[in-house]
Amino acid sequence: MKRRSFILAALFAAALIWIATIGAAFQAIRNFETTPGRAAIAPRAWPTSSRVQRASGWTLVMLIHPHCSCSRASVEELEAVIESVPALRPTVLVYRPSDFPRGWEQTEVVKAASHLQRTRVLIDDDGREARLFGGFTSGQTFLYDRDGKLRFSGGITSLRGHAGINRGRTGVIDLIRSRSARATHPVFGCAITSTTAKETK
Amino acid sequence: MNGNERVAARAVSLRDLQVSERRKKVDKMFAMLLAIQYVAGIVAAFVVSPYAWAGKERVLHIHVLIAVLAGAGIVVLPILLAFFEPGKAVTRHVIAASQMLMSALLIHLTGGRIETHFHVFGSLAFLAFYLDWKVLLTATTVVAADHFARGILWPESVYGIANPEWWRFLEHAGWVAFEDVFLVWMCLMSLREIDASSTRQAEVEELQEQEQLKTAALEMALAELQATA
Repeated sequence: MKRRSFILAALFAAALIWIATIGAAFQAIRNFETTPGRAAIAPRAWPTSSRVQRASGWTLVMLIHPHCSCSRASVEELEAVIESVPALRPTVLVYRPSDFPRGWEQTEVVKAASHLQRTRVLIDDDGREARLFGGFTSGQTFLYDRDGKLRFSGGITSLRGHAGINRGRTGVIDLIRSRSARATHPVFGCAITSTTAKETK
Repeated sequence: MNGNERVAARAVSLRDLQVSERRKKVDKMFAMLLAIQYVAGIVAAFVVSPYAWAGKERVLHIHVLIAVLAGAGIVVLPILLAFFEPGKAVTRHVIAASQMLMSALLIHLTGGRIETHFHVFGSLAFLAFYLDWKVLLTATTVVAADHFARGILWPESVYGIANPEWWRFLEHAGWVAFEDVFLVWMCLMSLREIDASSTRQAEVEELQEQEQLKTAALEMALAELQATA
């Protein structure tokens, strides 16, 4: 009888944990997925001191933290943009701290970016280029027109780590196809640079 | 109680015993499966997204915490029920709901990979081992409720677009229902086969019993004849 009561109490406690877990996990996942990273403060015109070569037509630049798992989705979305716009030659800037060993940046995300058609992958030591473009978050995408004017600044995924059609991706494609004048979309991903004073200078 | 009534009662008893034993075994199977999935979820989190980064700094990724804590929360009740209340309806319904929640968790931990969605359909097939169509209904309801709630609160997570039609969750649940139709049919057909085999066994037992009674009566008559001779 005593054992039975103990079992029932344990099952009741487990039922409460079960219900609480479902609610808490649902909320935690929602908060994580829907909270965007810090939006870029991008210069309106092409940063001339950048070592990224500006194309004669549209120029797309994406910032990537190589260890940000959410950025896989950004690279997948970039692939979709490239397939939709054959003339585009994007540049992916991969963050790497200069005091970290070489090869640290060679992750699946970067390999996936390297395999994209017509895409240049450049190492961005200590996030210098990211600072020139005013970006803070992995997956941040900038689109400049032929005159070097910023036309899109934002992310091209719908949520953190979620690939699939979204307003960021369609915004970039529509801009290039001259269907709109300017677009923006929240960016979802890890922070490109540390919060330490040395690196944020 | 005449012979036919005895056969019918025995057939029901045999059927219930067979189905109950089967469901207890399936409960244990799911307890093992849920435990394995729990570990697999943690491994997936460590492989896919072990850390969240901010420049050179890294912290344990929230996916790992969710895999460990939410995974444990999901599996603890069904595993306890499988061991302490095996064969009961509440056990298999909680297991069905938990299995679908594990699907949702694994889909999330693998970054929404379309391949992980196959887990839902595989799980439904496993749940059909119970031969209880109501369990499939519970599982389908959990899938539909998950899609409905997320469709309202953050639709991009399920449909990839911000403004899907209100009925879009029905389309997704519809694919699950598509599989359900055949699994329910299989459950009912299997139960009918168990019914038939139980009835046959009850009839054989009844015949054996009647034969034994006849043999006993004959032996008694023979013994009486031998005694009077």
